[in-house]
Amino acid sequence: MNLEPVARPKTAEPWARTTARAKMLQIVGSIVPIAISLYAWLIAGVDPIVVVLLILLPTLLISIGTVGFVLKGKRGIPDAALIVMTFYLGTFVMVLLISVIWALTEAGFRALSPHFIYQNNTYVTPTDGLEFGGVGHAIIGTLLVVGLSTIITVPLGLATGIYLTETRSNGRGFVRVILQAMAGLPSVVAGLFIYSVFIVTGISQYAGWLGSLALVPLMLPTISRVTEEALKLVPQELRNGALGLGASSWKAFFQVTLPAAKSGVVTAILLGVARVVGETAPLLLTVFPIAGTNLNLLSGGMATLPTYIYRFVALGFDTSVARAWGAALVLMIVVGLLFGLARYISRPKSLKKKKVKR
Amino acid sequence: MNSKTMNRAFHLEAKDINVWFGERHVLKDVNLQFPSNQVTALIGPSGCGKSTFIRTLNRMHELIPTAGLAGSVLLDGDDIYDDAVDPSQVRLKVGMVFQKPNPFPTMSIKENVISGLKLSGRKNEISNDLVEDSLKRASMWNEAKDRLDEPALSLSGGQQQRLCIARSLAMNPEVILMDEPCSALDPGSTRRIEETILELKETMSIVIVTHNMQQAQRVSDKTAFFLADDNQPGYVVEFGDTQQIFNQPVDPRTNDYVNGHFG
Ligand SMILES: Nc1ncnc2c1ncn2[C@@H]1O[C@H](COP(=O)(O)OP(=O)(O)OP(=O)(O)O)[C@@H](O)[C@H]1O
Ligand SMILES: [Mg+2]
Repeated sequence: MNLEPVARPKTAEPWARTTARAKMLQIVGSIVPIAISLYAWLIAGVDPIVVVLLILLPTLLISIGTVGFVLKGKRGIPDAALIVMTFYLGTFVMVLLISVIWALTEAGFRALSPHFIYQNNTYVTPTDGLEFGGVGHAIIGTLLVVGLSTIITVPLGLATGIYLTETRSNGRGFVRVILQAMAGLPSVVAGLFIYSVFIVTGISQYAGWLGSLALVPLMLPTISRVTEEALKLVPQELRNGALGLGASSWKAFFQVTLPAAKSGVVTAILLGVARVVGETAPLLLTVFPIAGTNLNLLSGGMATLPTYIYRFVALGFDTSVARAWGAALVLMIVVGLLFGLARYISRPKSLKKKKVKR
Repeated sequence: MNSKTMNRAFHLEAKDINVWFGERHVLKDVNLQFPSNQVTALIGPSGCGKSTFIRTLNRMHELIPTAGLAGSVLLDGDDIYDDAVDPSQVRLKVGMVFQKPNPFPTMSIKENVISGLKLSGRKNEISNDLVEDSLKRASMWNEAKDRLDEPALSLSGGQQQRLCIARSLAMNPEVILMDEPCSALDPGSTRRIEETILELKETMSIVIVTHNMQQAQRVSDKTAFFLADDNQPGYVVEFGDTQQIFNQPVDPRTNDYVNGHFG
């Protein structure tokens, strides 16, 4: 008998094989309803929303269901229905997302230019053309305020998540209730709280760090609850394995449990940042938005992208509104870059690629 | 082996162990002595408390939230449940292999072998020789030597279990507890683990839970038969030399069990 390994043939995925007839039927089954809908919309002039809900969905269900029945018999019908609904709802979400991105890009693109990214707004009046000034100061402000807030909240949130999963303390139920209440806290209240504690009492003037503090209670519940969920997913056997080797609970947590939950914890932090990066109200109450660049979180005003957008929309001039849209687009891009970076840093290291040394 | 155990009859000794989960009494008055360099098998029907008992021997039991315990466990004459004793120090000396393979998923094969030393702060003992030696003793070296840096989860279930054994061996424990180490393994891996056990007893004492009567006879010197009557705590029916338990059991229930009449 020949036990030599065999090269993988092209047909090594029999489950992926579909006959030409099945393919044809599937294509026809999906094109016909789309064609009918297009006809209704473009030629008969039916309202597009009505077309999508009352013509496309039912005809798709019927035609794909028929195709499923022809190809697989009775069990093909629920399969087909599931496929159509998945496709339909998936498309719906994608359309929503893309239309938001598109609207933002379309409206914001006008203001976008290199100097819009790095210049600040000193010497720029609301009616000035878009050839001067930019949101550089607000990008920096957002990074600083949200960054400090993240630095404060991540340890607190992780500690809370650890407390909720790794201990058997009786206080956990109470902490969960508090976190839930915190998650429902209107952001403006968080801002008002910091305003009344620090600014009304005269402890501090408006400053960046107060904005960071105001964001902490908004970020904390997200980070701790998502961290808790991520840690809960780590099987108990792994903890036992580590403890059984004589690890202290401290080391077992940091060397075994936490690495196993790493991507969940990164998600927790990202969701926390996402929760606050667009917050406007708490920052309006704690950080005075200025036109110039300020790198000092401890004193002076500081612009952030959300407050910049708020101010420039409120001014109402054509160019100022265009700047606000531009800032919104920049905010989206900055968040996208940050998330991409975080995912890249936290990607599971491929153990195989490491040099084999013995 | 070491001078202290030479002077004593028993390496590890369980005295009057009683265990509760919440209000439920699951083990009653267990007294067992584990001699040095011998393999002791714990047998008995499902649910009679063998896993529970073996976990009391290295203080893994107390990690279960509702757990309760009375009695003492003497390791070289010292009670491991003494107030002054740090449970992680106990677990360094009394290692454990679990029923279900549990290699650390974020670590490579090699990192898994040395994970115990890292976790217990004995990094200076880490060496490539130790990795090789531990894997060899767990009869895992031939399969692992070319893929030491691959993730541990890329191994088969049986290989993962032998990796977990290697991980315990790297710690060089005095006693090793094995809770049905072969229950997920094929006959080949099972045989190799049994060979490993026989080699290991040269240097350490072993306690093994098994449902396999042949395995108990092949590897163990002593056997304890556990039993729990309906809704009653489990207890030891008979404890003695393996040959005696299997060939001339004193208690008729032992006779029935080892001959496959119940359980
Ligand atoms: N974590 C726990 N909480 C409550 N009761 C438990 C727990 N673990 C075990 N028990 C109970 O203790 C008794 C003994 O269980 P144990 O797991 O020790 O049995 P076992 O002899 O190892 O059985 P098996 O051969 O099936 O592994 C059982 O009645 C079980 O229901
Ligand atoms: Mg068991």
